[in-house]
Amino acid sequence: MSRPLESLRILDFTHVLAGPYATRILADMGADVVKVNSLERAPPGQGPDAPYYVMWNRNKRALALDMRNPEAQAICRQLCEQADVVIDNFAVGVLDRWGVGYADVSPTNPNVIYVQMSGMGRDGPWSKFVTYAPTIHALSGLTHVTGVPGREDIGIGFSYNDHQAGLHGAVAILAALEARRRSGRGQQVDISQFEVGVNFLGPALLDLFANGRAAKPTANRLPYDTAAPHGVYPCLPQGEGVVGERWMAIACLTDAHWQTLAALMGNPEWTADPALATATGRAQTDWLDTRVADWTRTQDAAALMIRCQAAGVPAGLVQDGIDLTERDPQLHARGYFRPIDEPGLPLGRTYADRLPLHFEHTPCDEYRRTRLIGEDNAAVLRDWLGMTEEEVRRAEDGGVLR
Amino acid sequence: MPGPLQGIRVLDFTDERAIYGAKLLADLGADVVRPEPPDGDRLRLRGPHTEPDGGSLWYAYFASSRRHCVVDRADPDARVLLGRLAGRADVILTCDGAFGVDLLDIAAARAARPTLVHVAVSSFGPDGPWRDWQAPDLVAGALGGAVATTGTPDTPPLKTFGDLNFMVSGTYAAIAALSALHHARTAGAGQRVDVPVHECITAALEQVLMLAWYGEQMGRGRVLPRQGGTHWSMAFTVMPAQGGAIMATPMPDFDAQLAWLIEHDAHQDLLDERYQGPENLPLYVGRMIEVMREWVAAQDPEALFFEAQSRHAPYGWVLPIERLATNPQLAARGWWTDYQVAGRSVNGPGAPYRFSETPWHLRAPDISAAETPTEASILATLGWEAHR
Repeated sequence: MSRPLESLRILDFTHVLAGPYATRILADMGADVVKVNSLERAPPGQGPDAPYYVMWNRNKRALALDMRNPEAQAICRQLCEQADVVIDNFAVGVLDRWGVGYADVSPTNPNVIYVQMSGMGRDGPWSKFVTYAPTIHALSGLTHVTGVPGREDIGIGFSYNDHQAGLHGAVAILAALEARRRSGRGQQVDISQFEVGVNFLGPALLDLFANGRAAKPTANRLPYDTAAPHGVYPCLPQGEGVVGERWMAIACLTDAHWQTLAALMGNPEWTADPALATATGRAQTDWLDTRVADWTRTQDAAALMIRCQAAGVPAGLVQDGIDLTERDPQLHARGYFRPIDEPGLPLGRTYADRLPLHFEHTPCDEYRRTRLIGEDNAAVLRDWLGMTEEEVRRAEDGGVLR
Repeated sequence: MPGPLQGIRVLDFTDERAIYGAKLLADLGADVVRPEPPDGDRLRLRGPHTEPDGGSLWYAYFASSRRHCVVDRADPDARVLLGRLAGRADVILTCDGAFGVDLLDIAAARAARPTLVHVAVSSFGPDGPWRDWQAPDLVAGALGGAVATTGTPDTPPLKTFGDLNFMVSGTYAAIAALSALHHARTAGAGQRVDVPVHECITAALEQVLMLAWYGEQMGRGRVLPRQGGTHWSMAFTVMPAQGGAIMATPMPDFDAQLAWLIEHDAHQDLLDERYQGPENLPLYVGRMIEVMREWVAAQDPEALFFEAQSRHAPYGWVLPIERLATNPQLAARGWWTDYQVAGRSVNGPGAPYRFSETPWHLRAPDISAAETPTEASILATLGWEAHR
């Protein structure tokens, strides 16, 4: 069975995480994503010997072009003419300098959807700023509000905004395809990763403008709604140090959740305190979290989670990477992880986490390993441009395809 | 100009787990109708609220650009009404257990409209041992792997602010809808797409799965202890500065950062032999960060940020939310947008993307819950009578 985006051609100039994550999703759904790279300029960590690169570039084909070479630029322009989508997350202006900016490509390929995912967007006084996800987290307010009261040096522990910029890039491409179906024309899409990030604080920003209230970190409490207990509590450790700690998230969103939790604790005397009868009372009772933690500290986390969920209390183990890949029974039952056994990579066996979208009639269950830079030169140039093997070999020998 | 999804009809039966996906579709121009009970959508109660009138700013943001209709489950015609709406939709978004889903006969709707796309969001998917478990954002983030990454050794693991975990699953739901719709356009057949929140969160964790799989090959542990504002690479970290904080890094040009420190005579022992050579890179990075931390501590974060960016160094000033209101980049790009909340116009977030031909724009909600008509004539009101 075909996948939902088969026959879609995407020319992919993205690097690091945000852009490659967008095109990984589209490649998983069957799009022919051709990742353009260069043996001459691939920095350390940006090749298939690096796990980080392997994570985000599966299911794509790999073409090498030395864009300093005019012949490579000419091939690149021809590829742009055949593409449904051209996407990059370089700093603003790099593709223009190579002669494949939107102004260069759109006259000969009016159908093209041309997506630029820069840090700050194409214009504005900060448009030339250099950013990575930690930069965006800091500037967008996400770092400031992620933490405990009184501290602004914590922030999110992974590049959340890179993933989300990629996801929004995929949404934008699919929406532009729908618009093209109607109008017959492509268009340019300008994605500012900064604006994507600021957007995530939507309700807090509205609160700022409507009420003059500036959001502050609230640890594991809900910032605006009343629910208690609502936190992450220590359980019996299962090893040494921070990595050996075990923690349990418990979210009592209703009085019934709380009453059930109290029953699981054996209804100790303190749970009968009238102050705990309502969510507001519980949220204002500063010793409540301590008492809950005193109890959870004596419990095996996994067993407690099962007891809580069986009784109807929303609770979940704080899972780390080993929990997810080796112990999580739900992910295991659903076949979420799979090894990729194709040989040829410096890393040996690699792994895939499946696309979390399960299509009834067009399943996306093909996972091909990340390709070496330039590994698909001949196939791509044959399929997209009709070049012969001889022509490709000459270009390779001439240093164009590297 | 209309948005890119003009003409697409969506029925929105989502809750927190995917309402952001419905918002993305609505703000891109789809006609998204959100049924709610006569006493109002429970999500209208979520804070923050306007003061003193109590309009939900949460709802204004997440339920933007929608049309609403009341469905009274006590009304024997409720199922008929929903069936007629469903039979005219291009996409139906559901979250299991959300209002109205049990009144909906999806099979009948699909029979009536073979190109219908049904995006079915659930916490864990339609099967597996956790299928029926409850997972609000905090629990979903814990089980999905996000919570373990965040915090410091002297804090508990921490959730992200607001509903960021569900904004991942919401965005994936929008992708599911649009990709299945794309396929339906070409193949003439709709389908169901299952979107488990748990899998969405786990799919977007940057280093977490990578280290579990390749950490030993990388000479790193398979699990990273939570380490506050320090990136897993150890080369980006949030540092206290005078009156604030800044995210500072020697990446991507260590030599340029070293030269900058030398300019300020703040390089300490970084020229020492023991830091030279690729085999000593981890030691060098660690020492560089220590030296930078001392150097940054005495500086004004705003001035340092602009100086760094003028040198193409990707520093990020840790901005409190109130500074965003006057941010020159957002202002120059005309980013802020008006939201209508409880009869007031309130500035709020603009587009997460800009389309040159079919611009994103927010539409004011049609009517409040209390004013929403309950009669089956809603179909005519919505203009959904005819098949396109």
